[in-house]
Amino acid sequence: MPLRNTTRSWGAVSKSLHWLIVLLIIGQWGIAQYAEDLPLLAKGPPLNLHKSIGMTILALAVIRLVWRLVNPVPSLQGLAKNWECRLAHFSHVMLYALLMAMPLTGWMMSSARNFPVSWFGQFQFPDLVSPSRTLYQRMNDLHETLFAVLVIVALLHVAGALKHHFFDRNEVLRRMLPFGGIK
Amino acid sequence: MRSMTNYLAIPLLSLLATGASSAEPSTAPATARYTQAASGSSLTFTFTQLGAATEGRFRQFATDLRYDEKNPAASSLKVSVQIASVDTQDSERDDAIAMPELFDAAKFPVATFVADSLTRTATGLEAPGKLTIRGVTREMRLPLSIKSTAAGLELSGQTAFKRLDFGIGQGEWQSTESVGDEVKVQYKVALVRAK
Repeated sequence: MPLRNTTRSWGAVSKSLHWLIVLLIIGQWGIAQYAEDLPLLAKGPPLNLHKSIGMTILALAVIRLVWRLVNPVPSLQGLAKNWECRLAHFSHVMLYALLMAMPLTGWMMSSARNFPVSWFGQFQFPDLVSPSRTLYQRMNDLHETLFAVLVIVALLHVAGALKHHFFDRNEVLRRMLPFGGIK
Repeated sequence: MRSMTNYLAIPLLSLLATGASSAEPSTAPATARYTQAASGSSLTFTFTQLGAATEGRFRQFATDLRYDEKNPAASSLKVSVQIASVDTQDSERDDAIAMPELFDAAKFPVATFVADSLTRTATGLEAPGKLTIRGVTREMRLPLSIKSTAAGLELSGQTAFKRLDFGIGQGEWQSTESVGDEVKVQYKVALVRAK
């Protein structure tokens, strides 16, 4: 499998980033659920892991966007109707935006409570905002709302891929599968 | 009865006052007494929480310095810190700091540092004294420098100590996984000549 994308299929870098981010996001949700009701002291390490993974996702999302900009994007031409293309494009833009907005709101939540973000204890990120209880509450609400939006858009994205695979019987899903490809 | 008390109290007080003033030596004492100015002082600390250096401060503390620049050994320093005035910019964490497993602010509301002399070092001054936090007293040599300002003096410096040496962290809070043992302390105190 080539590293770079072609106009017909995704390369190894795009595929790896796509699936790695999917796994990390599912993990993030699990860790957040687990940490939520823990007592004060026990809550720290899982939340720290959540924050470190979140910063990793932010970095990967930036890399992914840059990679997309310097690579051909596999075309949907002839594979989808116009409205489907527009919907797909809209959901992709939303997903990229959410991949960045989720970590950024989480980062602001941390800064707003003066719990600086470290990356697995290796180095520390600067604070994005000054401490403020009100701002923390707003960012906390936003973080949760954005997650709900992410779930909805991701479901739409999955539904689209499955439709292409099972109903339209084309390569749209297959060309993003880890070891799949098109001849 | 009340007028009677007043009648007695006033001459008694003035007697005490005269007594006190006559006990003062006629020449100015070698050590001058300074107390903390109303503003311009800070007592901040840096601790490691979940791998990140995190800052906090104490809003209320008092400093009393008797200082003889020519003879530091004759100087003395006393600092007392109100534990409940801790401010880490997060009220939940401030409450946690005050709880029995950590500073136990209800039982030990004040931390103190007391030194009976100052000594000169290569870099400035040092106050060999006793630091008491959470009822535990330990010897500590507090590095500091003192400089003159328009209003009086400014005492500043920084040091570090281990929280577990003072029992700040009981039970599961002894773990240093989430909150590191070492705490750095930075101080800058604006002092004015006491009247």
